[in-house]
Amino acid sequence: MKLAVISCIHGNYEALNAVLSDIDAHKADQIYCLGDLVGYGPQPNAVVELVRSLDIPTCQGCWDEDIVEGLNACDCSYPSQLAEKRGHLAHEWTNQAIHPEVREYLASLPMTLRQDNLCFVHGSPNSQHEYLLPTMDGFAALERVLAAEADVLFCGHTHIPYLRELENGTLSVKVQQPGQSETQHQFTAPLKRIINAGSVGEPRHGRPNATYVLYDTDSTQVTLREVPYDYQKTCAAIIEQGLPPIFAWRLARGMEFAERAEDAGHVCER
Amino acid sequence: MQWAILSGIEGNLAAYEAVLTDIKRQRQPVTDLYILGDLVGLQGDSEAVVRRVRSPQPGEPMPQVCTGWWEEQCFSLHGIRGLPDAPELVERYGLEAVKDLWEAVSRQTVQWLADLDFGFHELDCLLIHGSTVSYGDELTPETPPIQLCDRLIRADANTLFCGRSGLAFECWVEPGALRSTVTTLDQTAVPQEQGQEPKKSPRRIVGVGNVGRQGYQPSYVLYNPGTDQVSFKCVQYGPARGFGAARSKK
Repeated sequence: MKLAVISCIHGNYEALNAVLSDIDAHKADQIYCLGDLVGYGPQPNAVVELVRSLDIPTCQGCWDEDIVEGLNACDCSYPSQLAEKRGHLAHEWTNQAIHPEVREYLASLPMTLRQDNLCFVHGSPNSQHEYLLPTMDGFAALERVLAAEADVLFCGHTHIPYLRELENGTLSVKVQQPGQSETQHQFTAPLKRIINAGSVGEPRHGRPNATYVLYDTDSTQVTLREVPYDYQKTCAAIIEQGLPPIFAWRLARGMEFAERAEDAGHVCER
Repeated sequence: MQWAILSGIEGNLAAYEAVLTDIKRQRQPVTDLYILGDLVGLQGDSEAVVRRVRSPQPGEPMPQVCTGWWEEQCFSLHGIRGLPDAPELVERYGLEAVKDLWEAVSRQTVQWLADLDFGFHELDCLLIHGSTVSYGDELTPETPPIQLCDRLIRADANTLFCGRSGLAFECWVEPGALRSTVTTLDQTAVPQEQGQEPKKSPRRIVGVGNVGRQGYQPSYVLYNPGTDQVSFKCVQYGPARGFGAARSKK
Protein backbone atom coordinates (compact mmCIF):
# COMPACT_ATOMS: atom_id res chain seq x y z
CA MET A 1 0.00 0.00 0.00
CA LYS A 2 1.36 3.39 -0.94
CA LEU A 3 0.77 6.23 1.54
CA ALA A 4 1.22 9.94 0.95
CA VAL A 5 1.79 12.01 4.10
CA ILE A 6 1.34 15.76 3.98
CA SER A 7 1.73 18.39 6.72
CA CYS A 8 1.81 22.11 7.46
CA ILE A 9 -0.32 23.39 4.58
CA HIS A 10 -0.80 26.74 6.30
CA GLY A 11 -3.59 28.11 4.17
CA ASN A 12 -1.66 27.74 0.92
CA TYR A 13 -4.23 26.44 -1.57
CA GLU A 14 -1.91 26.61 -4.61
CA ALA A 15 0.68 24.41 -2.92
CA LEU A 16 -1.92 21.91 -1.74
CA ASN A 17 -3.36 21.58 -5.24
CA ALA A 18 0.09 20.96 -6.71
CA VAL A 19 0.92 18.33 -4.07
CA LEU A 20 -2.41 16.54 -4.55
CA SER A 21 -1.71 16.37 -8.30
CA ASP A 22 1.74 14.91 -7.59
CA ILE A 23 0.23 12.36 -5.18
CA ASP A 24 -2.29 11.43 -7.87
CA ALA A 25 0.50 10.98 -10.40
CA HIS A 26 2.26 8.59 -7.97
CA LYS A 27 -0.94 6.61 -7.47
CA ALA A 28 -0.95 6.74 -3.69
CA ASP A 29 -3.68 4.62 -2.09
CA GLN A 30 -4.17 6.74 1.01
CA ILE A 31 -3.31 10.26 2.13
CA TYR A 32 -2.66 11.27 5.76
CA CYS A 33 -2.35 14.87 6.91
CA LEU A 34 -0.38 15.92 10.01
CA GLY A 35 -2.19 19.19 10.66
CA ASP A 36 -1.48 22.93 10.55
CA LEU A 37 -4.05 23.44 7.83
CA VAL A 38 -4.30 27.13 8.74
CA GLY A 39 -2.06 30.01 9.82
CA TYR A 40 0.42 32.22 7.88
CA GLY A 41 -1.31 31.62 4.50
CA PRO A 42 -4.17 33.46 2.80
CA GLN A 43 -6.67 30.64 2.03
CA PRO A 44 -7.40 28.75 5.28
CA ASN A 45 -11.08 28.05 4.46
CA ALA A 46 -10.37 26.73 0.96
CA VAL A 47 -7.61 24.45 2.29
CA VAL A 48 -9.82 22.98 5.00
CA GLU A 49 -12.71 22.50 2.58
CA LEU A 50 -10.47 20.64 0.12
CA VAL A 51 -8.97 18.38 2.81
CA ARG A 52 -12.46 17.62 4.14
CA SER A 53 -13.91 16.97 0.69
CA LEU A 54 -11.23 14.34 0.09
CA ASP A 55 -11.83 12.68 3.48
CA ILE A 56 -8.13 12.86 4.33
CA PRO A 57 -7.51 11.58 7.87
CA THR A 58 -5.93 14.58 9.63
CA CYS A 59 -4.47 15.19 13.07
CA GLN A 60 -4.48 18.54 14.82
CA GLY A 61 -1.50 20.86 14.41
CA CYS A 62 -0.35 23.62 16.76
CA TRP A 63 -1.92 26.36 14.62
CA ASP A 64 -5.19 24.43 14.41
CA GLU A 65 -5.12 24.08 18.19
CA ASP A 66 -4.38 27.76 18.73
CA ILE A 67 -7.28 28.80 16.50
CA VAL A 68 -9.61 26.58 18.51
CA GLU A 69 -8.25 27.20 22.01
CA GLY A 70 -6.92 30.73 21.58
CA LEU A 71 -3.24 31.67 21.67
CA ASN A 72 -2.00 30.00 24.79
CA ALA A 73 1.67 29.24 24.23
CA CYS A 74 4.27 31.34 26.01
CA ASP A 75 6.84 33.44 24.12
CA CYS A 76 9.00 30.29 23.93
CA SER A 77 7.26 29.51 20.63
CA TYR A 78 9.09 32.31 18.84
CA PRO A 79 12.75 33.10 18.24
CA SER A 80 12.29 36.82 18.80
CA GLN A 81 9.73 39.40 19.89
CA LEU A 82 9.35 40.53 16.26
CA ALA A 83 8.59 37.00 15.15
CA GLU A 84 6.11 36.67 18.00
CA LYS A 85 4.38 39.89 16.96
CA ARG A 86 4.08 38.70 13.35
CA GLY A 87 2.81 35.32 14.54
CA HIS A 88 0.13 37.05 16.59
CA LEU A 89 -0.90 39.15 13.57
CA ALA A 90 -1.24 35.99 11.47
CA HIS A 91 -3.23 34.35 14.25
CA GLU A 92 -5.62 37.32 14.50
CA TRP A 93 -6.09 37.44 10.72
CA THR A 94 -6.81 33.69 10.54
CA ASN A 95 -9.08 33.85 13.57
CA GLN A 96 -11.19 36.51 11.82
CA ALA A 97 -11.13 34.84 8.41
CA ILE A 98 -12.13 31.27 9.15
CA HIS A 99 -15.74 30.13 8.93
CA PRO A 100 -17.49 28.69 12.01
CA GLU A 101 -17.73 25.21 10.46
CA VAL A 102 -13.99 25.29 9.74
CA ARG A 103 -13.30 26.10 13.38
CA GLU A 104 -15.56 23.24 14.44
CA TYR A 105 -13.74 20.88 12.10
CA LEU A 106 -10.33 21.93 13.48
CA ALA A 107 -11.65 21.38 17.02
CA SER A 108 -12.69 17.85 16.12
CA LEU A 109 -9.27 16.74 14.89
CA PRO A 110 -7.46 14.06 16.91
CA MET A 111 -3.92 14.50 18.26
CA THR A 112 -2.80 11.14 16.88
CA LEU A 113 -3.69 8.82 14.03
CA ARG A 114 -2.65 5.18 13.67
CA GLN A 115 -2.43 2.53 11.03
CA ASP A 116 -0.93 -0.80 12.09
CA ASN A 117 2.66 -0.08 13.21
CA LEU A 118 2.54 3.53 11.98
CA CYS A 119 1.73 6.55 14.11
CA PHE A 120 0.96 10.03 12.79
CA VAL A 121 1.38 13.20 14.88
CA HIS A 122 1.96 16.88 14.20
CA GLY A 123 4.92 17.69 16.47
CA SER A 124 5.62 14.70 18.72
CA PRO A 125 3.54 12.17 20.65
CA ASN A 126 3.85 14.54 23.63
CA SER A 127 2.74 17.80 22.12
CA GLN A 128 1.81 19.54 18.87
CA HIS A 129 4.42 22.16 19.79
CA GLU A 130 7.46 19.91 20.21
CA TYR A 131 9.98 19.91 17.34
CA LEU A 132 11.56 16.57 16.48
CA LEU A 133 14.66 17.90 14.76
CA PRO A 134 16.98 15.50 12.90
CA THR A 135 19.81 16.63 15.20
CA MET A 136 17.93 15.69 18.38
CA ASP A 137 19.75 13.22 20.65
CA GLY A 138 19.23 9.72 19.22
CA PHE A 139 17.98 8.21 22.47
CA ALA A 140 15.49 11.06 23.00
CA ALA A 141 14.27 10.55 19.42
CA LEU A 142 13.99 6.81 20.05
CA GLU A 143 11.93 7.49 23.17
CA ARG A 144 9.39 9.45 21.12
CA VAL A 145 8.86 6.52 18.71
CA LEU A 146 8.61 4.03 21.58
CA ALA A 147 6.21 6.34 23.45
CA ALA A 148 4.00 6.27 20.37
CA GLU A 149 4.10 2.43 20.48
CA ALA A 150 4.97 2.42 16.78
CA ASP A 151 7.74 1.31 14.45
CA VAL A 152 7.39 4.36 12.26
CA LEU A 153 6.51 7.81 13.60
CA PHE A 154 5.37 10.39 11.05
CA CYS A 155 5.66 14.01 12.16
CA GLY A 156 5.74 17.51 10.72
CA HIS A 157 6.05 20.90 12.44
CA THR A 158 9.71 21.58 11.50
CA HIS A 159 8.79 22.26 7.83
CA ILE A 160 11.91 20.36 6.69
CA PRO A 161 11.40 16.76 5.53
CA TYR A 162 13.74 14.00 6.63
CA LEU A 163 13.97 10.30 7.31
CA ARG A 164 15.76 9.20 10.46
CA GLU A 165 16.53 5.54 11.12
CA LEU A 166 17.48 4.52 14.65
CA GLU A 167 18.96 1.05 15.11
CA ASN A 168 21.05 -1.05 17.49
CA GLY A 169 20.07 1.15 20.44
CA THR A 170 21.28 -0.24 23.76
CA LEU A 171 21.01 1.08 27.32
CA SER A 172 22.02 -0.35 30.65
CA VAL A 173 20.38 0.52 33.95
CA LYS A 174 21.70 -0.20 37.44
CA VAL A 175 19.29 0.22 40.34
CA GLN A 176 20.05 0.54 44.03
CA GLN A 177 17.33 0.71 46.66
CA PRO A 178 17.82 0.80 50.43
CA GLY A 179 17.69 -2.69 51.90
CA GLN A 180 17.77 -4.41 48.54
CA SER A 181 20.57 -5.86 46.48
CA GLU A 182 21.67 -4.03 43.36
CA THR A 183 19.95 -4.99 40.10
CA GLN A 184 21.11 -4.39 36.56
CA HIS A 185 19.34 -4.78 33.26
CA GLN A 186 19.94 -4.14 29.60
CA PHE A 187 17.59 -2.58 27.08
CA THR A 188 17.83 -3.11 23.34
CA ALA A 189 15.63 -1.32 20.82
CA PRO A 190 14.72 -2.70 17.40
CA LEU A 191 14.88 -0.53 14.28
CA LYS A 192 12.64 2.52 14.57
CA ARG A 193 12.03 5.30 12.07
CA ILE A 194 10.99 8.92 12.23
CA ILE A 195 9.67 10.37 8.98
CA ASN A 196 9.14 14.10 8.83
CA ALA A 197 6.73 15.05 6.07
CA GLY A 198 8.08 18.59 5.62
CA SER A 199 5.62 21.31 4.67
CA VAL A 200 3.22 21.71 1.79
CA GLY A 201 2.49 25.40 2.22
CA GLU A 202 5.39 26.97 4.09
CA PRO A 203 8.57 25.03 3.27
CA ARG A 204 11.80 25.91 5.07
CA HIS A 205 14.35 23.67 3.39
CA GLY A 206 15.88 26.50 1.39
CA ARG A 207 13.72 26.36 -1.74
CA PRO A 208 10.12 27.49 -2.30
CA ASN A 209 8.88 24.07 -3.50
CA ALA A 210 6.23 22.22 -1.51
CA THR A 211 7.38 19.03 0.24
CA TYR A 212 5.71 15.82 1.42
CA VAL A 213 6.57 12.10 1.65
CA LEU A 214 5.52 8.83 0.07
CA TYR A 215 5.74 5.62 2.11
CA ASP A 216 5.29 2.10 0.80
CA THR A 217 4.01 -0.11 3.63
CA ASP A 218 5.11 -3.30 1.82
CA SER A 219 8.69 -2.35 0.93
CA THR A 220 9.00 0.30 3.74
CA GLN A 221 10.55 2.57 1.11
CA VAL A 222 10.42 6.29 1.90
CA THR A 223 10.48 8.96 -0.81
CA LEU A 224 10.88 12.61 0.12
CA ARG A 225 9.05 14.63 -2.52
CA GLU A 226 9.64 18.22 -3.59
CA VAL A 227 6.96 19.76 -5.80
CA PRO A 228 7.30 23.06 -7.67
CA TYR A 229 4.17 25.23 -7.78
CA ASP A 230 3.21 28.82 -8.53
CA TYR A 231 4.28 30.21 -5.17
CA GLN A 232 4.16 33.76 -6.50
CA LYS A 233 0.39 33.46 -6.68
CA THR A 234 0.28 32.66 -2.96
CA CYS A 235 2.77 35.46 -2.22
CA ALA A 236 0.51 37.92 -4.05
CA ALA A 237 -2.52 36.68 -2.08
CA ILE A 238 -0.62 37.13 1.21
CA ILE A 239 0.03 40.78 0.33
CA GLU A 240 -3.52 41.34 -0.95
CA GLN A 241 -5.06 39.95 2.22
CA GLY A 242 -2.96 42.27 4.40
CA LEU A 243 -0.93 39.54 6.07
CA PRO A 244 2.63 40.52 7.11
CA PRO A 245 4.64 40.84 3.84
CA ILE A 246 7.54 38.94 5.42
CA PHE A 247 5.46 35.76 5.07
CA ALA A 248 5.48 36.25 1.29
CA TRP A 249 9.20 37.04 1.34
CA ARG A 250 10.15 33.87 3.18
CA LEU A 251 7.68 31.71 1.22
CA ALA A 252 9.44 32.79 -1.97
CA ARG A 253 12.77 31.67 -0.50
CA GLY A 254 11.79 28.59 1.49
CA MET A 255 13.52 30.22 4.42
CA GLU A 256 15.28 27.90 6.82
CA PHE A 257 15.10 28.42 10.57
CA ALA A 258 12.36 31.03 10.31
CA GLU A 259 10.00 31.24 13.28
CA ARG A 260 11.50 28.26 15.11
CA ALA A 261 11.65 28.40 18.87
CA GLU A 262 15.12 28.81 20.35
CA ASP A 263 14.69 25.78 22.54
CA ALA A 264 13.29 23.22 20.15
CA GLY A 265 12.73 20.68 22.89
CA HIS A 266 10.70 23.01 25.07
CA VAL A 267 7.13 21.87 25.63
CA CYS A 268 4.96 24.77 26.64
CA GLU A 269 2.51 23.75 29.34
CA ARG A 270 0.61 27.01 29.40
CA MET B 1 29.06 20.92 51.56
CA GLN B 2 26.20 18.51 52.14
CA TRP B 3 22.64 18.69 50.87
CA ALA B 4 19.56 17.17 52.46
CA ILE B 5 16.85 16.54 49.86
CA LEU B 6 13.33 15.57 50.73
CA SER B 7 9.80 15.56 49.36
CA GLY B 8 6.23 14.64 50.25
CA ILE B 9 5.70 16.10 53.72
CA GLU B 10 1.98 16.26 52.88
CA GLY B 11 1.00 18.17 56.01
CA ASN B 12 2.78 15.78 58.38
CA LEU B 13 4.52 18.22 60.73
CA ALA B 14 5.74 15.56 63.18
CA ALA B 15 7.47 13.66 60.38
CA TYR B 16 9.10 16.86 59.12
CA GLU B 17 10.31 17.70 62.64
CA ALA B 18 11.77 14.19 62.93
CA VAL B 19 13.69 14.70 59.68
CA LEU B 20 14.95 18.10 60.81
CA THR B 21 16.19 16.52 64.05
CA ASP B 22 17.96 13.80 62.09
CA ILE B 23 19.51 16.39 59.78
CA LYS B 24 20.90 18.29 62.78
CA ARG B 25 22.44 15.05 64.08
CA GLN B 26 24.60 14.49 61.00
CA ARG B 27 28.33 14.44 61.65
CA GLN B 28 28.94 16.36 58.45
CA PRO B 29 26.72 19.44 58.75
CA VAL B 30 23.93 19.87 56.20
CA THR B 31 24.54 23.15 54.38
CA ASP B 32 21.55 23.14 52.03
CA LEU B 33 18.03 21.82 52.42
CA TYR B 34 15.89 21.16 49.34
CA ILE B 35 12.21 20.27 49.52
CA LEU B 36 10.93 18.87 46.24
CA GLY B 37 7.28 19.75 46.62
CA ASP B 38 4.20 18.29 48.29
CA LEU B 39 4.43 20.34 51.48
CA VAL B 40 0.66 20.17 51.70
CA GLY B 41 -1.82 17.31 51.46
CA LEU B 42 -5.12 16.01 52.76
CA GLN B 43 -3.87 14.70 56.09
CA GLY B 44 -2.27 16.52 59.00
CA ASP B 45 -1.81 20.26 59.27
CA SER B 46 -0.63 21.74 55.98
CA GLU B 47 -0.76 25.31 57.27
CA ALA B 48 1.53 24.42 60.20
CA VAL B 49 4.00 22.71 57.84
CA VAL B 50 4.14 25.76 55.58
CA ARG B 51 4.67 28.04 58.60
CA ARG B 52 7.49 25.78 59.86
CA VAL B 53 9.15 25.62 56.45
CA ARG B 54 9.02 29.39 56.11
CA SER B 55 10.43 29.96 59.60
CA PRO B 56 13.48 27.78 60.21
CA GLN B 57 14.93 27.84 63.70
CA PRO B 58 18.37 29.34 64.38
CA GLY B 59 21.05 27.05 62.95
CA GLU B 60 18.68 25.38 60.46
CA PRO B 61 19.25 26.00 56.76
CA MET B 62 16.55 27.99 54.97
CA PRO B 63 14.72 25.36 52.89
CA GLN B 64 14.66 25.82 49.14
CA VAL B 65 11.24 24.63 48.07
CA CYS B 66 9.76 23.82 44.67
CA THR B 67 6.17 22.94 43.82
CA GLY B 68 4.80 19.41 43.76
CA TRP B 69 1.64 17.53 42.74
CA TRP B 70 -0.39 18.68 45.75
CA GLU B 71 0.56 22.32 45.27
CA GLU B 72 -0.56 22.08 41.63
CA GLN B 73 -3.94 20.75 42.81
CA CYS B 74 -4.25 23.84 45.03
CA PHE B 75 -3.44 26.12 42.07
CA SER B 76 -6.09 24.37 40.02
CA LEU B 77 -8.69 24.66 42.82
CA HIS B 78 -7.98 28.36 43.31
CA GLY B 79 -7.93 29.08 39.57
CA ILE B 80 -4.30 30.21 39.67
CA ARG B 81 -3.07 27.92 36.87
CA GLY B 82 -3.73 24.65 35.12
CA LEU B 83 -7.18 23.24 34.46
CA PRO B 84 -9.95 24.59 36.71
CA ASP B 85 -11.63 22.51 39.45
CA ALA B 86 -8.72 20.10 39.99
CA PRO B 87 -9.83 17.21 37.73
CA GLU B 88 -6.68 15.21 38.61
CA LEU B 89 -7.48 15.47 42.31
CA VAL B 90 -11.09 14.39 41.76
CA GLU B 91 -10.05 11.46 39.58
CA ARG B 92 -7.52 10.22 42.12
CA TYR B 93 -9.14 10.99 45.48
CA GLY B 94 -12.81 11.68 44.72
CA LEU B 95 -15.00 14.77 45.07
CA GLU B 96 -14.66 14.83 48.85
CA ALA B 97 -10.95 15.63 48.44
CA VAL B 98 -11.81 18.94 46.78
CA LYS B 99 -13.54 20.18 49.92
CA ASP B 100 -10.83 18.75 52.18
CA LEU B 101 -7.96 20.36 50.28
CA TRP B 102 -9.83 23.66 50.00
CA GLU B 103 -10.18 23.71 53.78
CA ALA B 104 -6.65 22.44 54.45
CA VAL B 105 -4.79 25.20 52.59
CA SER B 106 -5.73 28.87 52.82
CA ARG B 107 -5.83 31.22 49.85
CA GLN B 108 -2.96 33.19 51.36
CA THR B 109 -0.80 30.06 51.61
CA VAL B 110 -1.71 29.02 48.06
CA GLN B 111 -0.51 32.42 46.86
CA TRP B 112 2.83 31.89 48.62
CA LEU B 113 3.10 28.40 47.11
CA ALA B 114 2.37 29.81 43.64
CA ASP B 115 5.58 31.85 43.78
CA LEU B 116 7.76 28.78 44.34
CA ASP B 117 10.04 27.47 41.62
CA PHE B 118 9.22 24.52 39.36
CA GLY B 119 12.64 23.03 40.14
CA PHE B 120 16.28 23.93 40.72
CA HIS B 121 19.38 23.48 38.57
CA GLU B 122 22.29 23.39 41.00
CA LEU B 123 25.82 22.37 39.96
CA ASP B 124 25.24 19.43 37.57
CA CYS B 125 21.99 18.41 39.27
CA LEU B 126 18.33 19.05 38.63
CA LEU B 127 16.10 18.97 41.71
CA ILE B 128 12.42 18.72 40.83
CA HIS B 129 9.19 17.08 41.98
CA GLY B 130 8.40 15.02 38.85
CA SER B 131 10.56 15.81 35.85
CA THR B 132 10.84 18.61 33.30
CA VAL B 133 8.00 16.89 31.42
CA SER B 134 5.50 17.44 34.21
CA TYR B 135 5.03 17.76 37.96
CA GLY B 136 3.06 14.51 37.69
CA ASP B 137 5.77 12.51 35.94
CA GLU B 138 6.34 9.57 38.28
CA LEU B 139 9.79 8.09 37.81
CA THR B 140 10.53 4.78 39.55
CA PRO B 141 13.03 1.93 39.09
CA GLU B 142 10.29 0.23 37.03
CA THR B 143 10.06 3.11 34.54
CA PRO B 144 11.20 1.94 31.08
CA PRO B 145 14.96 2.59 30.68
CA ILE B 146 14.48 4.65 27.51
CA GLN B 147 12.10 6.93 29.41
CA LEU B 148 14.60 7.37 32.24
CA CYS B 149 17.27 8.17 29.66
CA ASP B 150 14.98 10.70 27.98
CA ARG B 151 14.21 12.44 31.28
CA LEU B 152 17.95 12.81 31.97
CA ILE B 153 18.56 14.23 28.50
CA ARG B 154 15.71 16.70 28.96
CA ALA B 155 16.96 17.58 32.46
CA ASP B 156 20.34 18.56 31.05
CA ALA B 157 21.87 17.28 34.28
CA ASN B 158 24.04 14.42 35.45
CA THR B 159 21.84 13.74 38.46
CA LEU B 160 18.09 14.20 38.53
CA PHE B 161 16.65 14.25 42.06
CA CYS B 162 12.89 13.71 42.11
CA GLY B 163 10.16 13.06 44.62
CA ARG B 164 6.94 12.25 42.81
CA SER B 165 6.99 8.47 43.36
CA GLY B 166 7.80 8.76 47.08
CA LEU B 167 10.29 5.92 46.60
CA ALA B 168 13.94 5.97 47.61
CA PHE B 169 16.21 4.71 44.84
CA GLU B 170 19.30 5.45 42.79
CA CYS B 171 19.09 4.50 39.13
CA TRP B 172 22.20 4.75 36.98
CA VAL B 173 21.47 5.02 33.25
CA GLU B 174 24.23 4.35 30.76
CA PRO B 175 23.45 4.86 27.07
CA GLY B 176 25.27 2.31 24.94
CA ALA B 177 25.46 2.20 21.17
CA LEU B 178 22.96 3.73 18.78
CA ARG B 179 23.18 4.10 15.02
CA SER B 180 21.28 7.06 13.64
CA THR B 181 20.98 7.60 9.89
CA VAL B 182 19.44 10.79 8.57
CA THR B 183 18.34 11.34 4.98
CA THR B 184 17.21 14.77 3.79
CA LEU B 185 16.29 16.16 0.38
CA ASP B 186 19.88 17.33 -0.09
CA GLN B 187 21.82 14.63 1.74
CA THR B 188 21.47 10.88 1.46
CA ALA B 189 21.84 8.54 4.42
CA VAL B 190 24.49 9.82 6.82
CA PRO B 191 25.03 7.17 9.53
CA GLN B 192 26.23 8.38 12.90
CA GLU B 193 27.24 6.15 15.76
CA GLN B 194 26.32 7.34 19.23
CA GLY B 195 27.93 5.78 22.30
CA GLN B 196 31.34 5.16 20.72
CA GLU B 197 34.60 5.78 22.63
CA PRO B 198 35.11 7.90 24.62
CA LYS B 199 31.96 6.71 26.30
CA LYS B 200 29.75 9.14 28.17
CA SER B 201 29.64 8.67 31.93
CA PRO B 202 26.45 7.11 33.24
CA ARG B 203 23.93 9.55 34.65
CA ARG B 204 21.43 8.88 37.37
CA ILE B 205 17.97 9.51 38.70
CA VAL B 206 17.58 9.60 42.46
CA GLY B 207 14.22 9.11 44.14
CA VAL B 208 14.40 11.00 47.43
CA GLY B 209 11.74 9.00 49.31
CA ASN B 210 8.97 10.76 51.17
CA VAL B 211 8.61 12.39 54.56
CA GLY B 212 4.96 12.30 55.42
CA ARG B 213 3.19 9.55 53.52
CA GLN B 214 4.24 6.52 55.54
CA GLY B 215 3.42 6.54 59.22
CA TYR B 216 6.41 7.24 61.47
CA GLN B 217 9.05 6.32 58.88
CA PRO B 218 10.02 9.41 56.94
CA SER B 219 12.80 8.99 54.39
CA TYR B 220 15.07 11.48 52.66
CA VAL B 221 18.52 11.61 51.07
CA LEU B 222 21.83 13.25 51.84
CA TYR B 223 24.03 14.24 48.92
CA ASN B 224 27.64 15.28 49.05
CA PRO B 225 28.46 17.23 45.85
CA GLY B 226 32.18 16.88 46.61
CA THR B 227 32.18 13.08 46.56
CA ASP B 228 29.01 12.70 44.44
CA GLN B 229 27.72 10.20 47.03
CA VAL B 230 24.03 9.76 47.82
CA SER B 231 22.99 8.29 51.21
CA PHE B 232 19.47 7.17 51.92
CA LYS B 233 18.11 8.03 55.32
CA CYS B 234 15.12 6.49 57.02
CA VAL B 235 14.09 8.08 60.32
CA GLN B 236 11.94 6.42 62.95
CA TYR B 237 9.92 8.43 65.42
CA GLY B 238 6.75 8.09 67.47
CA PRO B 239 5.32 4.70 68.50
CA ALA B 240 7.38 2.79 65.90
CA ARG B 241 10.67 3.94 67.39
CA GLY B 242 13.09 2.03 69.60
CA PHE B 243 13.00 -1.37 71.27
CA GLY B 244 9.22 -1.68 71.04
CA ALA B 245 9.33 -1.12 67.29
CA ALA B 246 12.05 -3.70 66.83
CA ARG B 247 10.04 -6.22 68.85
CA SER B 248 6.87 -5.57 66.92
CA LYS B 249 8.63 -6.35 63.64
CA LYS B 250 9.41 -9.92 64.70
